[in-house]
Amino acid sequence: MPGGMDAAPGKGEPIVELIDITKQFKGNYALRGVSLSLYPGEIHGLLGENGAGKSTLIKILTGVYGPTGGRIRVAGSDVAIHSPLEAHQLGIGAVYQDAELVEGFSVAENVLLGSESRGWFVNKKAIRTEATRRLSEIGIPMDAGRMAGTLSAAEMQLVILLSLFHKKYKVLVLDEPTARLSATETTILFRLIDVFKKEGITIIYISHRLEEVKRLCDRVTVLRNGVVSGTRDSSNISEEEITRLMIDEDAKQLEVHNAGLAQEDVLLEVRDLRTERLQGVSFSLRKGEVLGITGPVGAGMEDVGKALTGLTRFEGSISLGGRAIAVTSPSAARSAGFALIPEDRRRQALFNDMTVGFNLSLPVIASLSRWGLSVNRLVTRYALEIVERLDIRPKNTDIEIKFLSGGNQQKAVIGKWLRAGASVYVFIEPTAGVDVGAIKEIYGIILDMARRGSAVIVISSAIKEILALSEKVMVIQDGAMALYKDRSEARYEELLALAIMSRNAAANKAL
Amino acid sequence: MTAEKSTRVVTDSAQTTGWRVPITGALRKWSTIAAMLAVCAGFSLATPYFLTISNVTNVVFTMVTSALVSLGLTYVVIAGSFDLSIGLILTTCSIVTAMAMPAIGPVWASLLAVVVGSVIGAFNGLLVTYGRLSGIVVTLGMMFILGGLNNYLTGGYQIAIANDQTGFLFLGQGNLVGIPVADLILILVFVVAHILVTKTKIGHYISAVGDNPMAAYYSGIKVYRWVIVSFILSGLLCAVGGIIETSISTSAQPVGGEGYLLDAFAAVFLGATVMGRGKPHLLGTLIGALFLNFVTAGMNMIGAPFALHQLIEGGVLILAVGANAMLNREELHMRFI
Repeated sequence: MPGGMDAAPGKGEPIVELIDITKQFKGNYALRGVSLSLYPGEIHGLLGENGAGKSTLIKILTGVYGPTGGRIRVAGSDVAIHSPLEAHQLGIGAVYQDAELVEGFSVAENVLLGSESRGWFVNKKAIRTEATRRLSEIGIPMDAGRMAGTLSAAEMQLVILLSLFHKKYKVLVLDEPTARLSATETTILFRLIDVFKKEGITIIYISHRLEEVKRLCDRVTVLRNGVVSGTRDSSNISEEEITRLMIDEDAKQLEVHNAGLAQEDVLLEVRDLRTERLQGVSFSLRKGEVLGITGPVGAGMEDVGKALTGLTRFEGSISLGGRAIAVTSPSAARSAGFALIPEDRRRQALFNDMTVGFNLSLPVIASLSRWGLSVNRLVTRYALEIVERLDIRPKNTDIEIKFLSGGNQQKAVIGKWLRAGASVYVFIEPTAGVDVGAIKEIYGIILDMARRGSAVIVISSAIKEILALSEKVMVIQDGAMALYKDRSEARYEELLALAIMSRNAAANKAL
Repeated sequence: MTAEKSTRVVTDSAQTTGWRVPITGALRKWSTIAAMLAVCAGFSLATPYFLTISNVTNVVFTMVTSALVSLGLTYVVIAGSFDLSIGLILTTCSIVTAMAMPAIGPVWASLLAVVVGSVIGAFNGLLVTYGRLSGIVVTLGMMFILGGLNNYLTGGYQIAIANDQTGFLFLGQGNLVGIPVADLILILVFVVAHILVTKTKIGHYISAVGDNPMAAYYSGIKVYRWVIVSFILSGLLCAVGGIIETSISTSAQPVGGEGYLLDAFAAVFLGATVMGRGKPHLLGTLIGALFLNFVTAGMNMIGAPFALHQLIEGGVLILAVGANAMLNREELHMRFI
């Protein structure tokens, strides 16, 4: 059945059926009648733009959220899943990008945590032997006795996956499992997935990388705006079709372009910036100029932002407006005029349980005070002004910020710094976890900041984002500048090739 | 150019790892014990009576109850919580033992005390988990409740143990092959408690939950159960301490248990620095309790005023934990409990 809407692998009964699932958050629909069937031993790709509803659907399946409507059937009978533990008992497990290990335990103890042999006693020698066997079976070159706290993020992820293997899962959700893996590690991951498949375990594979999805998955379901826009056999699906299913707007509408906003005078001079992962990066930035920095995740680009905002120790000189400055801590960076919009807004930028007004006014609270006491009326007026200007929705400064969507939260993080008197704004992955519509708005906001004379540094692994926003582009590869030129001279393919090339190089090194 | 750069980086890192890691590793592992030995050496230079068999046995004997309480607290701290009610659980269990003994005899009275201690611990644990309350708040409240209960039960007077309870009094006052029975009980309890932590699932899961409850939860471990178990074990060991205390003093005192609280916390956190684990463990707690008692004895022997005892004890604790924190420096320190 080439490209049929309900392409089924045609073997047996589905292990999990999601039937007409809807989910509402405060009146907004995240899912509107999603139906999905999963068969034993199937690898099912789940695709969709950020905000299409993928993570909501997975959270419903794994018991993190309850659905507003619809049914879930596991092995033919209706179930209600109220918690991850209940999902676990039904044989449904998930690996999230921020999954964790017990850091004080060894790799072996983590791999077998919760599935030690029966009885009251824990046989550490047997645990180690068993874990070593499993590591070598999959081909992970790692000492089972190593403390989990000493592993890199990628190694941790492999250990987490390995630990899932003998937990008797029937369905396993992998959410962007290769995001932080090198090429070698990705190969190991794929081997692991093959083993899972052979055991008859069903895998839901969420990824933005089409290549991987086509290579691994049997079927692909694409979500768009909270509905299924199509389920296809992955053997005969084209990139164009997937893109068409994912985006309802014409792709060209998304394109933003920085026509050149830089002014004459140089604002920021960075000379020979060195950190643990960065070996000598120099650049200068004029007022109103946007510098885009990209490269493989973990190869050093993040450290530019961290150094400028006082989050990591570095060597090298920084001068702002012709004056040398010492950026020794985040507070020193702030008073010097740097503002950071970090990647992980929930943990690094927002006070989730506080109101929108509190979050927006925090950096400027002194100016909204009389005799040292903050004045609610001034705070609300100020916050409303920011909410209006950045079009943060809902237009209510009294609700807790955790109830806003990812895109609106990100606008609020930017809004926090809008009037804080910063002259250089550093954005790290500014549109991660932000829905398509909001991405365009955030691009607009960033370019507007440049138009008003701020210098902007955008650090992002999305090359299209860098090309859309920047006047100058830089690629950081293995800790060094691999490319630094005007946007007008840079081509998409060139940046992409550099990013991929260094990725393989890094993998070869690891071997 | 690139090759040159990367070689330099490699040599740089080789140099830094070359000398720094082994030294800090050894320092981390042995510094606390070395410092403890140095302090004890100092005392034995200052007074010839410090390093005598009679002093050592004396110190070991006086630390028995506080060591039992400290061991109990260690479980709760490993599980990632706090138990401020330990000292008062000890007093309550002591009172229960003394009050019940005339009616039901020493064996059943002691068992009753163990049950009471465990139930109080279970109650703390339930409130901390299913009740969603903070360990500090719950056990602080429990501290007040037990304080009131103790006063109510005793009317403020001590309860004496009859002199004919020789079997019971043997626990705290007798000797076996020349060693005080109380010491033997402590050793026995320590060995069992140590095996519990290092060899059984109880210890394994309590450690996992204390280190990373989310990871434990996603591994299908019943997180709440193990937190509650840690509080039960804490209450149970306090009860054992209370029974021994009653036997040693031939009476139950209505107050005084709260004094164990600070000593126990000092022993646990000092003990966490022993062998460079940075996390509480039972052997460390025992060594910590022993050391603190030696310091007290030594200060007594050189005739230091009581005010100085507390000053030194506090100083030792902050110094040891502080030095350990310097060696285990995290990138960012953002926990202020």
